[in-house]
Amino acid sequence: MVWHIFKKDWKLAWGFVLAVASLHWIAAFVKFRLGVAGENEALTMLSQLLPGLSIFGSMFLTCAIVHLDAIPGVKQDWLARPIPRGSLLREKFLFVIATVCGPMFVGNLFLGVANGFGFRSALFQATIFVVYLFFFTVLPIFALAAVTRNMTEAFVMGCACAFLIGASITVYEFANGASHNTVGGVVWSGVGWIGEAIRLGLAAIAATLIAGVQYFRRKTILARALLVGFGVLIFISEVFPWHAAFAIQQRLSARDNSARPVQVAFEPKLGRYKSSSAVALAEDRRRGGSENDAAVFVPVQVTGIGDDAILITDRAEVRLTEPEKRAEYHGTGENFDVRREGPGSPASSVYQKIVVPGSVYRDWKDRAAQMQIEYSLTRFVLKNSYAMPALNGNERMPGWGWCETEVNEAGTALELHCLQQGKGPICGTVLLENAATGERNPPRSVCRSDYAPYLDRPLPDSLERFGTMLPFRDPTGLAKFPVDGAQLAQARVVIRVYEPEQHFTQSLTIPQIKLRDWDAE
Amino acid sequence: MIRVTDLHKKFGRFEALRGLNFEVPEGSAFALIGANGAGKTTTIKVLMNILEPSHGSIEVLGVDSRRLSPKELAQIGYVSENQEMPSRLTVAEYVAYLRPFYGTWDRELERTIAKQLRLPVERRIGDLSHGMRMKMALLCALPYRPKLLVLDEPFSGLDPLVRDEFMEGLLNQAGEMTVLLSSHELGEIDGVATHVAFLDEGKLLFQESMSELMGRFREVHVTLEQAAMAPREAPKEWLQVRAMGNVLTFVDTRFDPSTLSEQIHSQIAGVKETVWQPMALRNVFTTLARAARDGQA
Repeated sequence: MVWHIFKKDWKLAWGFVLAVASLHWIAAFVKFRLGVAGENEALTMLSQLLPGLSIFGSMFLTCAIVHLDAIPGVKQDWLARPIPRGSLLREKFLFVIATVCGPMFVGNLFLGVANGFGFRSALFQATIFVVYLFFFTVLPIFALAAVTRNMTEAFVMGCACAFLIGASITVYEFANGASHNTVGGVVWSGVGWIGEAIRLGLAAIAATLIAGVQYFRRKTILARALLVGFGVLIFISEVFPWHAAFAIQQRLSARDNSARPVQVAFEPKLGRYKSSSAVALAEDRRRGGSENDAAVFVPVQVTGIGDDAILITDRAEVRLTEPEKRAEYHGTGENFDVRREGPGSPASSVYQKIVVPGSVYRDWKDRAAQMQIEYSLTRFVLKNSYAMPALNGNERMPGWGWCETEVNEAGTALELHCLQQGKGPICGTVLLENAATGERNPPRSVCRSDYAPYLDRPLPDSLERFGTMLPFRDPTGLAKFPVDGAQLAQARVVIRVYEPEQHFTQSLTIPQIKLRDWDAE
Repeated sequence: MIRVTDLHKKFGRFEALRGLNFEVPEGSAFALIGANGAGKTTTIKVLMNILEPSHGSIEVLGVDSRRLSPKELAQIGYVSENQEMPSRLTVAEYVAYLRPFYGTWDRELERTIAKQLRLPVERRIGDLSHGMRMKMALLCALPYRPKLLVLDEPFSGLDPLVRDEFMEGLLNQAGEMTVLLSSHELGEIDGVATHVAFLDEGKLLFQESMSELMGRFREVHVTLEQAAMAPREAPKEWLQVRAMGNVLTFVDTRFDPSTLSEQIHSQIAGVKETVWQPMALRNVFTTLARAARDGQA
């Protein structure tokens, strides 16, 4: 019966299906034509517009498919027909997978293959993309459609849900801000994917329950209550505790003991943080973008990172306590990273910036307090190193992606454009090197805290575009580069790819500290 | 075939059905009569498991309506005045879609009904007139020879010609099946229904076989020698007692020719002549409806 109902739905919806599928395929083709550099303005505009349209189209299509045999209501002819509910539910899922997910899958498979990432890799990434969208977009829309009678009702209910989500996020942001970023912390962090995986699971459970309740029992009020209830649960998962999430991430670490020698210690000998100018000083003192905030810079020394390794802080949770614990301040410090490329000094010094509200600063600046900083850290190690010609470079590098180089229009920097299927690299350094002399320009390094085992922001497609600028000439003449424009012909771009090896925590306790002593100067 | 027991249905605070009890005998053509909003459609929706009862139950083909499975639904034909069907499919496409769900679907019968109803099978459902849609609904309800045919306001909005075609199609195929139909038009069930139940504001006022109902109602005219006056305590089975000149008129709801004269003479003096006549179905219902509202029924 599933196939029989499928054919009926196809007769009714083929036009809509083909229209949405075309949008996906045109979007994929535009992305392909855009290439690595993506400099065609018209195509860039289309590539920004079409994916959104196609996703909206898919959402409406999902709704329309479910509404072909709507569950709520009393006028639908099929309600009085001997149509097995299980067959109808299976057919709807199958139809949605075939006509909504199918074209997305084909589009992404095409993108991967056409961009030369290999069929198996393209197949894998297209599958990941579709599975992600299925759980995060298609299933919730399916559930929403199952509790509504028609598109208007679904649209109104969808808008209400979007409004509630927006309001919830505002409340959450407000609460987090009021508690100095200590409420949640998982969202937008490297371990944010754990909260997201929970939401994914909740969405799957919710959709299964709602579909079951609606298709087998037709209890629309109960199903709507479930929709709201799970919506609340999903919102609550936004405030998944940091320590629990990071503990899960630690369990997933590749090696357990590699970071044991790493030590973070208070280094008062380093002295106060010196701002580069009066303007910078005013800026440093304000910090955080708010006139009411103040910043202190606590000098710390990091040892034991090891050669060719990078240490980044995922979170620095700060507690200030008076000796008799009469008062306590709880907040977060800014994240920093420490690099050691090649052998060098075993210790690195850095300032831990802590932004506190002005009122807190005024209360605590002259008090002798104990400061405890709970660090959540990740040690990255060098996995691969690549080189490609500086001029007209075009290379495919495993673990990094497909990159091209070109000199920018002003002739001051080399642009590196890269494309990777699935998740792009999360940590790497890029520099310009003269292959003949071995001279190097300062490296450009970007490490982001993102440990999701999958591309957790798949929109608009399963490809990730990234790049950087490698300057070789300062038009003002103030800066001199060891590798300048004249050497570009012999120069090469060196790319060093780092991967997270271990996640760990470390606590730094400073028995007595006065905030005033560690202002910027 | 159908047993309704203490059926209640509430929509929020509004009570649409208030403790209905009736039975539809097998092989009967049972008419649910009542004004708009009386609860006829709600009763049928509960019967078809489209709505759930708030209290009480309906047993259909020996199964609680809430437990109706495809097996039972395959033995029930359902035609409703506001049935939503896929408007972009043609009549033929939709009939072809429905066919496999019914193990007993008779394609020859389907062709015969389509021909008899003069249905344009290649036309899209969305392009059909209301009358055509009703005929199409009948086409989708008869070819599998259901044991029970449920018709919810089937004649509503049909012009006389289409209504006749519809009725002809229905009566030709009715055979042994039990028919439950609802209507607010009495003329529509005249000659069709074998049993009747009257609903008013969610309550069942009575249910009876048509022959018994028509047999026990008579309009009685009593001519007196003097000016007529309504008796102070008329028997409760006399309804709408009116005096006009020297004639007293009433409706006898328990008509028995052998006892009526005696009963009249015991109530009224100076009787010159008594005449009675059968009543039209419409008048029977009007009388009953008024009596119900006046608390006499």
